[in-house]
Amino acid sequence: MKKIRDLASFNEAREAGLEKLLPAVPRIAVGMGTCGAGNGAESVFHAFSDSIEQRGVSVQLARTGCFGFCAAEPLVNVWIPGKPLVILQKVRPDDAPAILDHIAAGRIPADLALCRIDEWDHITAHVKFGTGFEEIPLWNEVPFFRGQKKIVLRNCGLINPDDIEEFLAVGGYQALYKALIDSNPAAVIEAIQAARLRGRGGAGFQTGAKWEFLRRAKAEPKYLICNADEGDPGAYMNRNEIEGDPHSLIEGMLIGAFVTGASEGIIYVRAEYPLAVHRLRTAIQQAEEWGLLGEDILGRGFRFHLSLVEGAGAFVCGEETALIRSLEGRAGRPTPRPPYPADSGLYGKPTNINNVETWFNIAPIVLKGPAWFLETGSPKSPGTKVFSLVGKVVNTGLVEMPLGTPLKTFVYDVGGGAPLGRAVKAVQTGGPSGGCIPSDMFDTPVDYESLAQLGSIMGSGGMVVMDEDNCMVDVARYFVEFTHSESCGKCIPCRVGLDKSLHYLSRITHGKGTEEDLKTLDELSRMIRDASLCGLGQTAPNPVLTTMRHFLHEFEDHIRARRCRAGVCEELALSPCENSCPLHMNIPRYLQLLKEDRLEDAFVSVVLDNPLPASTGRVCQHPCDNRCRRAGLDEAVNMREVHRYIADSIYPAPQFEELAARVASLRKPATGKRCAVVGAGPTGLACAYYLALLGHEVMVYDSNPDAGGMLRHALPDYRLPKDVLDREIELIRRVGVQFTFNTRVQEEITLNDLDAQFDAVFLAIGTWKENWVYLPGTELKGVMPALPFLEAVSKGEPTALGRKVVVIGGGNAAIDSARTALRLGSDVTIVYRRERKDMPAIHEEVEAAEAEGAKIVFLASPHRIIGDESGRVKALEAVKTRLGEYDASGRRRPMPTDEIVRVPCDTVILAVGEAVDLDFAKASGLKIKENGLIEVDRYTLATSRPKFYAGGDLITGASNVSNAMGYGKKAARNIDRMLTGEERWTSLWPEFVYDMTVPAHPGASRRHRVREADPLERAKDFREATYGLTTVEAMEEACRCLRCDVRNGD
Amino acid sequence: MTSALLPGEKPAPGPLTADEQDYLDRLIVRHRGRPGMLLNILEEIQENQPKKYLPLDYLEYLSSRTGIPGAQIFSVATFYALFNLKPQGRHTVCICRGTACHTRGSKALLDRLKLLLGVSEGEDGGSADKLAATTPDGEFTIRTVACFGQCALAPVVEVDHQILGHVNERVLEREVEAVRKGARS
Repeated sequence: MKKIRDLASFNEAREAGLEKLLPAVPRIAVGMGTCGAGNGAESVFHAFSDSIEQRGVSVQLARTGCFGFCAAEPLVNVWIPGKPLVILQKVRPDDAPAILDHIAAGRIPADLALCRIDEWDHITAHVKFGTGFEEIPLWNEVPFFRGQKKIVLRNCGLINPDDIEEFLAVGGYQALYKALIDSNPAAVIEAIQAARLRGRGGAGFQTGAKWEFLRRAKAEPKYLICNADEGDPGAYMNRNEIEGDPHSLIEGMLIGAFVTGASEGIIYVRAEYPLAVHRLRTAIQQAEEWGLLGEDILGRGFRFHLSLVEGAGAFVCGEETALIRSLEGRAGRPTPRPPYPADSGLYGKPTNINNVETWFNIAPIVLKGPAWFLETGSPKSPGTKVFSLVGKVVNTGLVEMPLGTPLKTFVYDVGGGAPLGRAVKAVQTGGPSGGCIPSDMFDTPVDYESLAQLGSIMGSGGMVVMDEDNCMVDVARYFVEFTHSESCGKCIPCRVGLDKSLHYLSRITHGKGTEEDLKTLDELSRMIRDASLCGLGQTAPNPVLTTMRHFLHEFEDHIRARRCRAGVCEELALSPCENSCPLHMNIPRYLQLLKEDRLEDAFVSVVLDNPLPASTGRVCQHPCDNRCRRAGLDEAVNMREVHRYIADSIYPAPQFEELAARVASLRKPATGKRCAVVGAGPTGLACAYYLALLGHEVMVYDSNPDAGGMLRHALPDYRLPKDVLDREIELIRRVGVQFTFNTRVQEEITLNDLDAQFDAVFLAIGTWKENWVYLPGTELKGVMPALPFLEAVSKGEPTALGRKVVVIGGGNAAIDSARTALRLGSDVTIVYRRERKDMPAIHEEVEAAEAEGAKIVFLASPHRIIGDESGRVKALEAVKTRLGEYDASGRRRPMPTDEIVRVPCDTVILAVGEAVDLDFAKASGLKIKENGLIEVDRYTLATSRPKFYAGGDLITGASNVSNAMGYGKKAARNIDRMLTGEERWTSLWPEFVYDMTVPAHPGASRRHRVREADPLERAKDFREATYGLTTVEAMEEACRCLRCDVRNGD
Repeated sequence: MTSALLPGEKPAPGPLTADEQDYLDRLIVRHRGRPGMLLNILEEIQENQPKKYLPLDYLEYLSSRTGIPGAQIFSVATFYALFNLKPQGRHTVCICRGTACHTRGSKALLDRLKLLLGVSEGEDGGSADKLAATTPDGEFTIRTVACFGQCALAPVVEVDHQILGHVNERVLEREVEAVRKGARS
């Protein structure tokens, strides 16, 4: 019999295990946790086993648990004697033969290698694998693992969980042996208390204190329970811990049983985790066979029986009293405490319940002592915690970090930020009992107290990352829907309160909420929190309270503007593209009208939604592309180019006259109200157009001699030919908009004059000041700001541009300046301090500039401009930067290095951002915000002065054309409501009748892109650089629309 | 503590066959007196049923043989999401409604699946996150689960006990078609 009775037999088993772990032949171990299996690890294992058998090679093949990097599964460990252990990632079954070839030659396939491990600290033992393969990074050099400390996961992914000998080889059951030999239970409990180990299930109660209660309890038998009913959606560390290292759980429980005097143990594990159940059964059986469970354990006269109960899918059973009721054969309804389980638990006997991960921490503390444990983590929360980092993050997986690590380390350094370059909005911690923490609070250290301060909790360690596509109201509703359905129904605050909460939240997500609802929801949440019987009810309002605290504006958007910016709440949007469009164009409608070959109707549809479609069709940042559902099948529909096609087909054509008349005929009867618009840029034009259509008399003032603002004076001709813009403005005139040019408001005409003459005033002056960077040398001849440069070129005025030009910046103005300078015959270098992906400019524009010959120096921060004797620019010096910590925008902050680059040049164009003329805002007498911009009501755009509204750059700072126009449109709607006291907005649109069916089986199809002129040819002059879609292409593009605007039942 | 178990005399012959009675008796003996006994027995009964549910006759017999009141057994059978009181479809498609899956669009998958199989409501007609509905022909059961703990693969769908990760509408449609045609069984 192999029962371990003494040190000799213990050591014998360890040796046997070591021979398996570090055999004389190469060892391949496939990560076979559920996550690995879900990624195809099973077939990888069989591929290896077949290949090994076929070749008859001497290689040991084993299964192991999960090493934590789920995004890189299936992981395969390869060990060649004397060499480091190498972990291969994303291994496919057909990789197996090649891997075996490499191993036979003593090599590692470099393309699959994730990292190497020279030696490993199992905490309970130290294993040296070997040296070599230095070209492969060490495991903790890989960003995902950097900063991780594996105490709980010490064995996961490294040993075979089904083999007790391998567990013994890495120091397993040594702590138990020590505790039994020392035979001093009080000392063990003292050590646990001194280590300040806190319960890892969420509440964070001191484990040592709980054990002491049980030890002192008098009745027999005493029960020990492991809570493995991991019910938090978004958390799965307990599953991996059990699947990867079941014996560590058993050992922890054995030590706990010995020191508290418990004789019966129960592991209550989720039935949804079949593999964990299977591994545990095997482990329990092995432990029994080896004399580590049952009677007379390790020959020390200690008895402990351990059994397994599968939980049947009730979240509330995570609550200890509910779990106990469940074990007693009842519905899992909690009971009031006291009595606490330590006094009266299972069948009324003294009982202690700890979470899986708590048990995993026991053996290390017993072996290494509390002082060692206190070295890691924060003073109040020592040790590590395993987190499941999931949701909108590139590197998903299980992360074991010292407690107190800041959130941003998890999200950005380990997680790599959100996929597709999206901005991270929040992290949800603690599951349905926790809360959402906004990205500007990512400096928060992750420990019990800090999270509680923000209204969240640590919980079992789920971390779900949310990006800009997630709606926080929907998230709150989701969690309440969950807790509502999981509520056991025993107490009224939880049962009825959550039902009502769900009702109010649903109303808000359907766009039917009121501001009163918000107050009710807040009051209700506090009541549920304070009055519920158990933890489920007491914490269920956390997701609501935290989202209302940190994301109140999203709730207000749903209620006041009936908008869900993230585009999640379907009832609030026509379609994802419409929702993302700042102008809220009915995109599916014009696509369908074009598809039906009704070009004129499509034009009317477009121009009623957007008075400058030919311009936006060329220069819009097209947020719709990121939202198009078609992207899930192949590629997004090219909506921007289709509306450009529609506009370009009509404006220069003979039908223009007729269609302009048709649009003008939609103008409502004159109201007799007079409106002034200050600024003839896109914001002002949009507002004026709609006010005119609504029947008001409109006068637009501008200091320039013509309309168009930035469209005319900042956008180079090769992007937007001015004859196109002229036609658009002509249509705006046709609906009745009048202009007064060459007039500067506040100089030639005052706001008081406007107040006296008009019934409403809309202020929409743009961004006309270039930000000035304070670099040594900016006073030199040849340094110029971007906007005045672009304006001068557009007006045909002379500029002092030299032959060698450096442009500083990475936004659209920088790229426009660069491409303009190229066309004037200069040699151009762009210097930008961050990485390419951080550039705010439209991506296609950056590529076009490069194709035309512009050079870009990334990661270089301008340091000084050097001049010659005559005071002219001679060169730019920039400090090379490396990427440092992540800032609040989720981009890595450029940090200076010692390296300096010098770019010889005679001209420096500064394009580091535009600023609003703050003098205007200041002199206006209107209430301004801290940053100097005019303060308006977010929903009506009304300023502090009656009758005065403001929009565009004046209230947001520099923005882009479509956003600016969106403000103009919104202002017109609100001004009209103010002037007429009615909501007349939607009546502007005539009824369009068109097909409302969804394409049945959309086949795969390619997105049509615009053709570009040859880069080197086009860079010679200012002719337009791209050609629009052809008729056939535009039509095909329209046919690709999936018609998200058509609802079931329509 | 658990009450009187297997009293000496057999109950009056009910609708169960002698084999079924014998099976249940053995099951009871195996688990009696252990914590979690009722859960374990019910789980095993359901697992061994071809249609994965708890027949009422079984529950009544269980009550008469263990002395556990029928109301308590029924309470347990209806409280836990795992237990079914109605026969389940030949195939099961289970959509995870965990947080990670939700943020990655599992609601849309559920809506699509319901449309695909022609199921309009959960059988309890209630909240969407505890759905268990079977098509009239008994071929498919659509279920939701609170979380599979496969969050790194989100969104996750389980088709006949096989986990599929990173599922989109197209993949879901293809898998359901494959099951329908018997390409996988």
